[in-house]
Amino acid sequence: MNIQRLRLAVQLLSFTVLIYGGLFAIDLGNRLPTFACSYVPDHGGGCFLVGFQHMLSRPLPEFLGEQGIRLLKALGIASLWAIVLNKAWCGWVCPIGLLQDLLTKLRVWLSIDMSRFSWMTRHRYKSVKYILLALLVLIPLGIGNGLISRDWTAPYCQLCPARPLLPLFRGDTTQFAINFLSIPTMLLTGGAIILVGLMFTTSFVKRRFLCSYCPMLAFLSLFDKIGLFSLKKDGDKCTRCGNCYRACPMEIREIEEEKTLKNLVTQDCILCLRCVEACPENMALEAQFAGFSFLKADAEAFLARQDAGAAGTGTRRRRKKK
Amino acid sequence: MNELPPGQPAPASATPEGDRPLTRKERQIRKVRLHLAMTVREIFEEMEKDPSRPKAMAYFDDIFRKFMHNGEGVIKASDDQKVVGTYCVFVPEEIIYAAGGYPVRLCAGAHDSSEIGEDFLPDVACPMVKSEMGFAAMPILDFYQRCDMVALPASCHWKLKMGEMLEPFDDVHMLDVPRVKESEKARDYWLEEVKRFQRRVEKITGKRIRRRQLRDAIRKIQRAQREVVRFQNLRKTIPAPILGRDALEVLNAYFYDEVEDWTEALRALNEELEERIANGVHAAPPRAARILLTGSPMVFPNWKVPFIIEDLGGILAADEFCTSQRYLSDMVSVDEGTMGDMLMAIAERYVLPCACPTFSNTIERRDRIARLVDEYRIEGVIYHVLKGCHPFDIELKIIEQLLREKGVPMLKIETDYSPEDVEQLRTRIEAFQETLKGRL
Ligand code: SF4
Ligand code: SF4
Ligand code: SF4
Ligand code: SF4
Repeated sequence: MNIQRLRLAVQLLSFTVLIYGGLFAIDLGNRLPTFACSYVPDHGGGCFLVGFQHMLSRPLPEFLGEQGIRLLKALGIASLWAIVLNKAWCGWVCPIGLLQDLLTKLRVWLSIDMSRFSWMTRHRYKSVKYILLALLVLIPLGIGNGLISRDWTAPYCQLCPARPLLPLFRGDTTQFAINFLSIPTMLLTGGAIILVGLMFTTSFVKRRFLCSYCPMLAFLSLFDKIGLFSLKKDGDKCTRCGNCYRACPMEIREIEEEKTLKNLVTQDCILCLRCVEACPENMALEAQFAGFSFLKADAEAFLARQDAGAAGTGTRRRRKKK
Repeated sequence: MNELPPGQPAPASATPEGDRPLTRKERQIRKVRLHLAMTVREIFEEMEKDPSRPKAMAYFDDIFRKFMHNGEGVIKASDDQKVVGTYCVFVPEEIIYAAGGYPVRLCAGAHDSSEIGEDFLPDVACPMVKSEMGFAAMPILDFYQRCDMVALPASCHWKLKMGEMLEPFDDVHMLDVPRVKESEKARDYWLEEVKRFQRRVEKITGKRIRRRQLRDAIRKIQRAQREVVRFQNLRKTIPAPILGRDALEVLNAYFYDEVEDWTEALRALNEELEERIANGVHAAPPRAARILLTGSPMVFPNWKVPFIIEDLGGILAADEFCTSQRYLSDMVSVDEGTMGDMLMAIAERYVLPCACPTFSNTIERRDRIARLVDEYRIEGVIYHVLKGCHPFDIELKIIEQLLREKGVPMLKIETDYSPEDVEQLRTRIEAFQETLKGRL
C-alpha cells in the first residue's frame, strides 16, 4: 500500500466535498476543525472558527445562559471531530494543506531543492500558533465586553488566507480584497492577502510553510494524546538515521531524535505518515487508528517503494529496466 | 595470468630482468605474494572440507581465489573506467558509481602486508592500517595500484594520519567525518564534505553527476541491500542454513565486486538457502551455540576467529562489523528526488545511523547489538579487539555492561593478524563455548 498516493487521493476527494459538496447536497455542518472556509458559497462543510469567534463576542454574563450552551455545543462538535481524525485533518483533509502539497509537487517537478529553517528559528516560532489561537479567543471576548472595537470582529477570519483564496474555486472573488473600512480591517485583510502571497512563494522554498503558524494546528494539538489516530515509535529499533526527519514536511526533529517517548504525535505533526514510509527499520515507527495498526516501518517494503520510485512527492515512477 | 599455479608471482613487475639478483624490495614483494597465496589456498582447502557448502558460494570464492594471483581480476573496472579506492564506511559509493567510476574498498586483512606497513607506522599501530599501508606501498595486489584516487575518512587516529603517509603512492582525498555527528552544524558540514567529494570524483572521471545518474546509482545499491535484507533474514533461521564465515565472505566480496553482479550472485545464494531451509538442510546442528562477533573489523584473509568458532561447533549467527553488517544495513531514503535531497540523503546515510566507535556516542552501537542479540537469538558474544585499535577497546566496557544486563555472556579477545596465537585463541574460545553449552 502506498500511503502517500492514498493520502493525495483522500485530500483531493476532501477538497471536492468541502468546496463543491453543496452542489451534491452534502452538508457536513460548519463545525469542522479544518480550513474548509465557511465563506465559500454553498460549501459541503465549513470551518468552525467563524461561528466560534462570533459566539465568543458576547458580554461575559451571557455565557451563563443559552449562549454558553450554544458555545459549548459548537466546541463540543469541533472537539469530537478533532478526536476522531485529530491531526489527520491537516495531513489528509485541509484544503490549504492540499494546496501547499500541490505547490510542493510543482517545486519538485521544477527540480528546486527544498530548504529548512535552522533548528533555532524553528524552535523560536513554535509558539506563534498558540498565540494566534489565544488571540482569536481573547479578542472576540474583548469585543463582546466593549473593550475592543467591532472592527476586530472574527479577527482570525479576517487574517486567514483561506478566506480570500478558497471562494475563488467557486468563482467568488469578493473575499479577495482588502477591507479599507478602518485600520484594523485593513491590517487584517491585507495580512490575509500577504499570507496568500507567502503561501505561493514560500512553497517554492519550503514545505507547509503556513501550517507551522496555523492556530487550527494549535487547536488540534490539544487532542494529540486522546485522538484516535496515533503515531508510535519504538526507540530501541531506531538507528537515528534521520530519514524520517528529512521526509517530514513539518521539520519535526523529535521523530528522529526521540528514543524513549512512545507517542510521536507531536504538536506540529500533521499525521501525513511520510516518516513511517521513509523509515527503513522494522517496526521503528507505526501508525495506528483506534489501537489498530495500519502501517509499520518495514525494511523490505521500504526498499520496494524506493525501487518503484514513488517514495515521496517527487520521484516519479520510471519504466523498469533490467 | 590465471594459468599460473597458485603462489607463483606474476611475471610483470616482480621478476627481475635477466639474471640480475633481486633487490631487497623485490624479494620482499615476492615473499609477501607467496605467503598471501599460501594463506588463501589454506583457507579454501579448509572451506572445501565442508561438503554442505551452498553451491552459490563458488561465485564469491572465485573473487577471493584471485588474491593468489596478485588480485588480478578481483575488481571489474573496465580499462577506461576510473577506480576510486575507499576506506572505512563513510565514502558514498553512490557518488562514485553515478560519476561512472568504480569503487573498491581497500580495508585490508593480510598479515604479510602488515609487516611492510611497519616500515611506516609504529609497532603498536592497528594491523589493519599496517596491512593497508603495505598494499599501498608495494605492488602486491593489482587493484591497490589501479586506484586513480583514494578517499580516506578521518575516522580513527591511525586513519587520520594515514592520509599523509599514502600521499607518495596515491592521490589522496581526505574526508572530514564529524565526530559529534548529531548537531545541526555537523550535518551541514558533512553535507559540504560530501559535495566536495562529489566535485573531486567528477573531476577525476570527467563526468558531471546529474539527477538521473545519481538516482540510478542509489537504486543499484538499494537493490543490493534488498538482497542483503533477505539474506540476513534467512540467517535468522535455526538451525542455520549457512555458516557465518561464508556469510562474512559474501559481504566482504562486496568490497570488490561490481554491485549489480554481486546482487545477482547473492540472489542466487538466497534462492539456494530458501531451498535448503525448505528441505531441512542446514550448515550447523540445531543446538550449535549462536555467537555474535563484534568489535574491530575482520577482513579477508584474516578469518582465523570465525574459523575457530565454527570448527569448535559454534555458529557465527551474526556479526556487527563495519566490514560486513554495518557496511550494508543503513539505507538511503530518496524523498523528493531533487539533487539536493538525494545528496543529503546519501550524506546522512553514511554518518547518522553509523555505529562506528569513532563517533562520540555509543548509543547507536549499543542498540544495534541489543537488536542483533534479540533478532538472531544470540547466546554468546565474542568481542574482537585488534591490538592498537583503540576505539573498539574504549567501547568495550559499555557493551559489556549492556550484555550483562541482557544476561548474555561475553568473551573479549585481543589479537592481530599473525597466525601465532591461533592455538591460544582456540583454547579460550573453546572454554567460552563450553560454558554456553552448559547453560542450555
Ligand atoms: S476564514 Fe479561515 S478561520 Fe475563518 S472560517 Fe474561513 S478557514 Fe476558517
Ligand atoms: S495546519 Fe495546515 S493543514 Fe492544518 S488546518 Fe492549518 S492550514 Fe490546514
Ligand atoms: S527513519 Fe526510522 S530508524 Fe531512521 S531515525 Fe527515523 S525512526 Fe529512526
Ligand atoms: S512526524 Fe511524520 S506524520 Fe508527523 S508531520 Fe512529520 S512526517 Fe508527517
